[in-house]
Amino acid sequence: MSAPRPPRDKHEMSVGFAGDHKVLSVEIADGDIVPWDLNTEHRVIGTDTSRVDAVAKVTGRARYAFDVNPPGLLHGVLVRSTIARGKIKSIDFSAAERAAGVVAALRTKENGHRVRFVGDDVAAIAAETIDQARDAALLVKVEYEAEDHNTDFRKAEGAPQVDAAGHITDPWPESAPIEAALGAAKATVDATYRCEVQTHSALESHGVVAWFKEDAGELEVWASTQAVGITQQAFAQATKLPQSKVRVHAEFVGGGFGAKFPPGSEGLYAVRLSMASKRPVKLMLDRFEEHTCAGNRPSAIIQVRAAADEAGKLLAWDYRGFGGPGHAGQGGGTSWPTYYVEHLPRELRRARHKDLATDTDAGRAMRAPGRPQGFFAAEGALDELARKLGMDPLALRLANDGSPLRQHEWKLGAERFGWKERYNPDPGQPRDESKPWLLQGAGLSSAVWGQLGGGNYKVTCRIHHDGTVEVRNASQDIGTGLKTALAMLVAEELGIDLARVKATTGDSLDPAGPASGGSTTTPSVAPAARLAAARAKAKLIERVAKSLGIEAGALTYEHGQFRLDGQRKMSFVDACRRIGPEPIEEQGERFPNYKPYQDHVCGCQFADVEVDARTGVVRVRRMLAVQDCGLVVARKLAESQVLGALTQGISYALHEQRVLDHRIGRMLNGDLSTYKVAGTVDVPELEAIMVSVANGANNVGAAGLGEPPATAPAAAIHNAVANALGVPVRSLPITPDKVLAALAGKDTSRKNSKKQGD
Amino acid sequence: MHTPNVPDDAGFSRRSFFKGASVAAIAGTSASAATATDHAPVTRRRPGLHEITLQINGDARKLQVEPRTTLLDALRDRLDLTGTKKVCDRGACGGCTVHLDGEAVNACMMLALDAEGRDVRTIEGVGTADDLHPLQRSFIECDALQCGFCTPGMIMSGIACLNAGKTASRGEIAGCLSGNICRCGTYTRVVDAVEQAAKVTGAKRGGGR
Repeated sequence: MSAPRPPRDKHEMSVGFAGDHKVLSVEIADGDIVPWDLNTEHRVIGTDTSRVDAVAKVTGRARYAFDVNPPGLLHGVLVRSTIARGKIKSIDFSAAERAAGVVAALRTKENGHRVRFVGDDVAAIAAETIDQARDAALLVKVEYEAEDHNTDFRKAEGAPQVDAAGHITDPWPESAPIEAALGAAKATVDATYRCEVQTHSALESHGVVAWFKEDAGELEVWASTQAVGITQQAFAQATKLPQSKVRVHAEFVGGGFGAKFPPGSEGLYAVRLSMASKRPVKLMLDRFEEHTCAGNRPSAIIQVRAAADEAGKLLAWDYRGFGGPGHAGQGGGTSWPTYYVEHLPRELRRARHKDLATDTDAGRAMRAPGRPQGFFAAEGALDELARKLGMDPLALRLANDGSPLRQHEWKLGAERFGWKERYNPDPGQPRDESKPWLLQGAGLSSAVWGQLGGGNYKVTCRIHHDGTVEVRNASQDIGTGLKTALAMLVAEELGIDLARVKATTGDSLDPAGPASGGSTTTPSVAPAARLAAARAKAKLIERVAKSLGIEAGALTYEHGQFRLDGQRKMSFVDACRRIGPEPIEEQGERFPNYKPYQDHVCGCQFADVEVDARTGVVRVRRMLAVQDCGLVVARKLAESQVLGALTQGISYALHEQRVLDHRIGRMLNGDLSTYKVAGTVDVPELEAIMVSVANGANNVGAAGLGEPPATAPAAAIHNAVANALGVPVRSLPITPDKVLAALAGKDTSRKNSKKQGD
Repeated sequence: MHTPNVPDDAGFSRRSFFKGASVAAIAGTSASAATATDHAPVTRRRPGLHEITLQINGDARKLQVEPRTTLLDALRDRLDLTGTKKVCDRGACGGCTVHLDGEAVNACMMLALDAEGRDVRTIEGVGTADDLHPLQRSFIECDALQCGFCTPGMIMSGIACLNAGKTASRGEIAGCLSGNICRCGTYTRVVDAVEQAAKVTGAKRGGGR
């Protein structure tokens, strides 16, 4: 018989945001601390502090995996398939092994094994210099048994039939309620949208430096990874080494965006080359490999049928998508803003998806996987409905969006952006009569992501004798600002200067942390960090009291100041001198989330574009994002992440596409000259407005920002272009040829309708 | 067997090879950014290792390179100066920007041999934690960085922009930095940072360090 459990501490929290306050009553978990809420006054959190690792980055001292040069380093390269589909007949290393500088050569596939795309790994070479390794790779003779391939997802098995305009003509599965709603509605849309493959193009390519230390039986790896934990486990499994003898470092990571979770063949064969040569091996992909062998955002074809009444209220929603995730044949799913149709009965909203396999590199997660594609289609269809109804697209959103938070954000954003002035009420007509070729328009899109973190992660907090403090977790900071967030949380809880706190991330020796995916990192570790600091603070008070020979209760501690009997003061540093030779070391754990105010984050974005109707060139003139992320921990960094999503969105909407030669299955623009990524001159004035929300989900209440702002920008830009042109392009990227074709099509349809006497 | 430092008549500079591949080689003319080989006399070297001395951040550094070794690989792999990043390795991203006799160049687009006798400055020679360049300070204040991988190249291009006094408008700054790609999307704040540093330094020609 166990003793009756004491009643848990019931705590009332004030949650919500500026426009909507609520009181939530939660049972605080045993061992947890009271969550921050709307009434909390922060001193560090939410301020414009600078990135804690910025000095290392601006001075070039930050060492990324690519920069690690252990003594005796060899350089590795992978030999890659030159055909898109077939089997390996033979691999001949005889010439390569004799080449200057070559130390190790091995197969990555046996005879008879399949190659699945141009760029699939076949063999690996390690040599004294990178040039020698490349020379030797060219000398590896691989014979293939080639098979017919298909690299065009529009021609894959199961691909939908499309007409000359690219519109899907396959019959929809039967649904009497949807057909009835479409038949009776004031306005309907039936449109097909198309997106191309985008590559992640992180500036630090995929790869590792692997060092197998034979004497100790240990493997040490510096990896460009979003997942220290997954990487450590994968290497242990592949090498059969105990995981306790595999150490992974990722102190600095040069971008990931979703493509760097498990170590790919580049990681695995760097390890094997190191084991074969007994020397450290650096194997980082080159830019062509980065484009062609390291994942991408899949292509998509999406058709939307929808109906609305005269007030713009949606009456039916029918959505089907086809994704092109390459040889993986899965993972190309798209998703759309479901909240617009939450008011509809289930039989009036439908969504399906089908992936189409091709003989190309496999798709991977990329910032808000599936959403930029789906939002582009869905928000595009909403704008087409609004146009048919002669309605302002913002009004149509407000009529269907049931979220009080996003309603607030729509209005705030529209006002700050100047929606009324920027939206072209006469789509397709120039604003300035003296420049009739310049078309201007504005567009918008909603944003969403549903993640408030979780997991069973721990964070260590150490207070040293000299008054410096450490916070440690093995999760990695891929540029999002995790180190800064951890340091700020600890500084806040201890009431001390941020400069006292050193945050360390990306070392597998430290308490396990999450992979940097799905915007979960900060919300998953932040509550554990705060708890670790709170426990360290309690220990500090205890030790100081003991050193003074008084009861801990006689000491008060606030804002980094101790007070004795409410009188005598002692600073944090003076107090630390009394803790003795051993540092205070405490861990905080991550409790499951409480029922939050809201279990997702919202947002909305606005774009203003100018199109030159003579050339078809689109220029984004201004973009604005309104974004919430629970508690805004590091304001400046949060804004940066939103501005980055806008910038990447401009690039995706207007520039980026993988171009393949389908005859040979090879990427034609696998570099950074012909694969266009937006540059300084392509990016206009951007603004990010952060909305702070107390969600009460845990003792911190932060949410991540990797995905949320990445859902919307392409949709907003596409809608702005449609507003400028008076006709939607319905295809990303919106390149000049498509703009000119859309304008020509508009003219043609006008002429045709005149002929018909319309 | 390789004999160091013996010129012969075999070999190309990487720059001339790339030029020749796209246009008929016209010696010494290029509309693009200045590169060392535009004005350097054509030197022909044998394959194999050559011992050279480079002036880097004020120090004479001796190293052995092959004729084909780029300045970028020499800096990173031979001298462990890894602040200069390797990203595209084809002059398309600016990640490896260094200063050569004060001009911003892509270290991946020139050979280490061609840098002999020139004054090379890398990010390691710009400022330290205790003594930051005004542009490094403004990068931190404006949060003009995220993952930080493009940052050294951005700062080297930014300092060249400040030194050239091309800071009259945001557009002019953006144009100056248009050869530097950032994937995280920091551009607006990078321009903020250069603008802020221009105010601090007075943005006179040679006003920076």
